[in-house]
Amino acid sequence: MSLVNLSAVCSHLNNATKARLALTSIPNSNLHLKLSLALQNSGYISSVVRGGPTPPPAHSILGYPAANDEVEGIEPITRDNVASRRLWLGLKYWQNESVLGKIKMVSKPTRRVNIDVEGLRRVVRGEASGFVAGLRSPGESLYLSTDRGILEARECVEKKLGGLVLCRVL
Amino acid sequence: MNITRPARCLLCSFTRAATPSTRVPRRQFHPTPATLSNRKPKFPNVKAPRVEDYQPYTEEQKAKLANEYSEAQMAAIEAGEAAIDPKDLSEQLNERSDPMAFKYIDDFSVIEPGIDRHQRAPESNSDYNFKLKSEDDFVNDFGKFFAEMPDNATGKDFVRFADNLRLTHGKEESELAPHSALVPDLFGPGETIDEPRVEEQKTAAEKGEKERSAEAEEMTDALKSLLLATGYTESQVKGLRTKTLVSHSVTNQTRLGKVRRAYRLSIAGNGNGLLGIGEAKSDEASDAKVQSQYRAIRNMQPIPRYEKRTIYGDVKGKVGATELQLMHRPPGFGLRVQYLIYEMCRAAGIHDLSARVGRSRNQMNTVKAAYEAFMSQRNPEQVAHALGKKIVDVRKVYYAGKI
Repeated sequence: MSLVNLSAVCSHLNNATKARLALTSIPNSNLHLKLSLALQNSGYISSVVRGGPTPPPAHSILGYPAANDEVEGIEPITRDNVASRRLWLGLKYWQNESVLGKIKMVSKPTRRVNIDVEGLRRVVRGEASGFVAGLRSPGESLYLSTDRGILEARECVEKKLGGLVLCRVL
Repeated sequence: MNITRPARCLLCSFTRAATPSTRVPRRQFHPTPATLSNRKPKFPNVKAPRVEDYQPYTEEQKAKLANEYSEAQMAAIEAGEAAIDPKDLSEQLNERSDPMAFKYIDDFSVIEPGIDRHQRAPESNSDYNFKLKSEDDFVNDFGKFFAEMPDNATGKDFVRFADNLRLTHGKEESELAPHSALVPDLFGPGETIDEPRVEEQKTAAEKGEKERSAEAEEMTDALKSLLLATGYTESQVKGLRTKTLVSHSVTNQTRLGKVRRAYRLSIAGNGNGLLGIGEAKSDEASDAKVQSQYRAIRNMQPIPRYEKRTIYGDVKGKVGATELQLMHRPPGFGLRVQYLIYEMCRAAGIHDLSARVGRSRNQMNTVKAAYEAFMSQRNPEQVAHALGKKIVDVRKVYYAGKI
């Protein structure tokens, strides 16, 4: 789990939303894929598609690449093309503002921040716990790496899971 | 020997009449004489009306009443007077003067829809087991009518029979006074719940126009243009909360030397969600103040408020080197913020907030940064739309917005 690469992804997403891009790509890795899917699940990004160095073809109706596109299909990973795979993320905008306002790392490569359920309950209620500030604004969320995958903080509280705090989205 | 008690003969304490207090079955731990709980008051309540308060009308009063009321009404009044015993009145009618007393007079004998608690509808007269009469039944009815018909029968008798002729077997009320599903009228004609009647509105509008024309002669041009631009009346403008927060002098260096002018920054709000800031420079300080206040009024914009008391989420603002953070707080927390932001909250009608002003604390930039922060709030409904998620205010859902 490289937090260096994840930090680079966060910075890249911030830059991409500031540049008002509709589609951007990040390096392919299991961590990035799971975090992207968690972001998509929360509604911050519209699509996550694994593709090559060039953007995958857009869905004929949706207008952006979709993972479940039956017409175009997704190129399967082979030993030859695995190194060139990238994740293509569709970014969302609402009322002239990017939905993914700002994504920021909580754990750093030099300081990993872990949190237990008790601390996470406090964070979800809006109080600070240790190095993690509370979730105090509408639409703010926190993503954790747990032993059941990458989950949002509120899901973790629901499932009584603690873990490594990855990043915060506002 | 206790100081609080007078010295008494030891034997005196055994005689019953010696102590003014009644005997109590328990030990007393204090010298105050105990009273029996079922003691009746020696005197009636001083506030209670007495029989003498209810005197019959004198001849003079009756003559005056006769001017107002018709003869029939006077007879009714006298009958009413005679029907009620003044003694009953004094014993049973008590006008409340306690703080919880009603502010209006009503006998509460009528349930008014819209004001009083909903009253369950009475059981309807409906009869679910009714049966329509058969032809034979009608023949019997007619036969009965003709049999019992008086000798000198007129058309009247038949009309009465036809009116009272029932078409069904079953409860009589079900047919004669059936259940109505119509809602009773709440308002009179031309009356609505929050607006006065049309005629009253018209007179108020005329009055307003007259006042406006009278005031217009005294108003300054600046105020006139402000009223024109905002659509407020002069009294409304006076009712707004304005405050000059920053005042200093500025200089312009020209080849003629330094030209000093006064700078003022004011805020304006209505105490209910509107807030604006305005700046002005002028040779005269008072002129700059008025100008800045008018500009603040023109710039007033709605500020999102959560539950009309605090802000949505924590927000940040930055102007120049002034960086500040506004944080929402629970009800009753108060305004624990510095004075400039405090005044802005007062004007906007925000009651629970805390703030942190970092780096520079320049007054002008603090006010501007706070305004920027107030305006940068994210509306949860818009966030829900953006995320495609349903967002629910748990406070409202679980506590019905009561806390």
